[in-house]
Amino acid sequence: MAWSMWWREPRRTYRFPGKMEVEKYVYTPGLHGLEAARALKEEGKFLGTRCGDTIYYPPTTLCPDYTEGELAEVKGPWRITAYTVVRETLEGERLEKPLVIAHIAPDDAVGGLIHYVDASPDEVYIGMEVEPVLKPKEERRGNPVLDITHFKPRRPETEE
Amino acid sequence: MVVARPNIHVKNRVAIVGAGLTLFRRRMLETPRELAWEAARMALEQAGLTLRDIDCVVIGSAPDAFDGVHMKGEYLADGAGGLGRPTVRVYVGGGTGVFVPIAAWWHVASGLCRSVLAVAEEKMSPAHPHPQGVFAYIWDPILERPLGPNLIWIFALEMRRYMYKCNVDKKTIAKVSVKNKRNALDHPAAQAAANITVEDVLKSEVLVWPVQRLDISPVSDGAGALVMVSENEARRVTDSPVWVEGVGWTLDNTHWYNRDLAYPRYVNYAARMAYKMAGIERPWKEIDVAEPYDPFDYKELHHIEGLMLARRCEAPKLLEEGWFERDGELPTSPSGGLLGVGNPIAAAGIMKVAEIFWQLRYEAGARQVKKPVHKGVAQAWGDLMQAGTVIVLGN
Repeated sequence: MAWSMWWREPRRTYRFPGKMEVEKYVYTPGLHGLEAARALKEEGKFLGTRCGDTIYYPPTTLCPDYTEGELAEVKGPWRITAYTVVRETLEGERLEKPLVIAHIAPDDAVGGLIHYVDASPDEVYIGMEVEPVLKPKEERRGNPVLDITHFKPRRPETEE
Repeated sequence: MVVARPNIHVKNRVAIVGAGLTLFRRRMLETPRELAWEAARMALEQAGLTLRDIDCVVIGSAPDAFDGVHMKGEYLADGAGGLGRPTVRVYVGGGTGVFVPIAAWWHVASGLCRSVLAVAEEKMSPAHPHPQGVFAYIWDPILERPLGPNLIWIFALEMRRYMYKCNVDKKTIAKVSVKNKRNALDHPAAQAAANITVEDVLKSEVLVWPVQRLDISPVSDGAGALVMVSENEARRVTDSPVWVEGVGWTLDNTHWYNRDLAYPRYVNYAARMAYKMAGIERPWKEIDVAEPYDPFDYKELHHIEGLMLARRCEAPKLLEEGWFERDGELPTSPSGGLLGVGNPIAAAGIMKVAEIFWQLRYEAGARQVKKPVHKGVAQAWGDLMQAGTVIVLGN
């Protein structure tokens, strides 16, 4: 039978809705992941996994040679390695302020993270130095991404 | 070097030279890649090798919906040592744990890789309210799901059919649970080890009659790993390699209407394939130790018959005689099985293969069976309840 014929049947006839029975997932951060999330929440520090002379961020616990790494602080400075600009929502509504999303890597570690950058699309460029803006300590929930509200360009006048 | 087997020609004989397991627990802090890494590191350590010595990686993990990450084989590949190497993930549901060493076998037997790290990982704890919900999608969406079934329905129907066909009562079947949970007391990774009695099983909460709480294996997080290498490599690294002598796997019909519920044909065909390759003609005599898949207690009896270690409907009688105890004629699940050690799906199967490996090397410690061992078989069962995977090992 053609699809169009099936479509003309009365509603609720010959239809087989399926229900999702898993309501949600709760993930665990892992060994170093937990320590890093705790350090960000409590001390506002970024932790990575040190393997020899290299620090990996985000922390991986294990090293490429399969040994266990140790926790080490990542201090930055952070730089944009790639960025894109979102101007519309998924539904096609125009955003009032374009959203700049970037891959941001610290100079002293391998890796990086994706986050929002509070900058206009005209001024942002690859290699731009940015710095993390954390939520106030009492609002941090131990989420290594959402405890950072965004990254902001590091301008000379903001430097002390 | 071409080695002729009774009915198969392979480039290389394949040996297992190391095995590792994480703890099996209801909720582990470790991420999937960390679990894989812990097990794989232990296996490499036992083999006396490092990750550098590994040519290829085979990863096994059951539905993505448990960990809650799509393509989770790739997601945990760095933990399994898979980056920068030929890496593949294999998946046949619950049968995955034994299928991982089978896939690793053909990687080595074909001559493609000299050494393979075979890693199976499962993290069932992320799904809420209960990982049971993930199983809902194995049902036929039109013919079965409208009834609102859950996984235990399957086992209740199978168990009922088996009890009816073979005239077995629950008291006898409960002895499997008692045996396995007691065996698991000696297993350092065990999650559900216990000294219980048949009465405890019969008094436990009824889930779906005739399945009760203590008839069932628990929900677990965990990982397991094996190092599998070619003969030349094995001779170099160890004096006591454990050879993969035969492998087999089969699909049966997933639809209930045409499947024998009282007898696991899927295991029987897979076992015949593996025995043929291993040159085993009378498995009930030639196999010294077995790890049949036991997510439920009746299922171990079911699979003992499928593996031809007992005649049809004979397993319950032999169980009553103590045939399958650790000091019995044919010890089954000396590890403690899924009922005792735990059931992180893919990792549970590889735990069974690891147990046969340790038994054949006389390294199982307190779990070592009493009789001398030469050949062992491990088996798992999965997919939409109709896949059988079997591996025969020898020392």
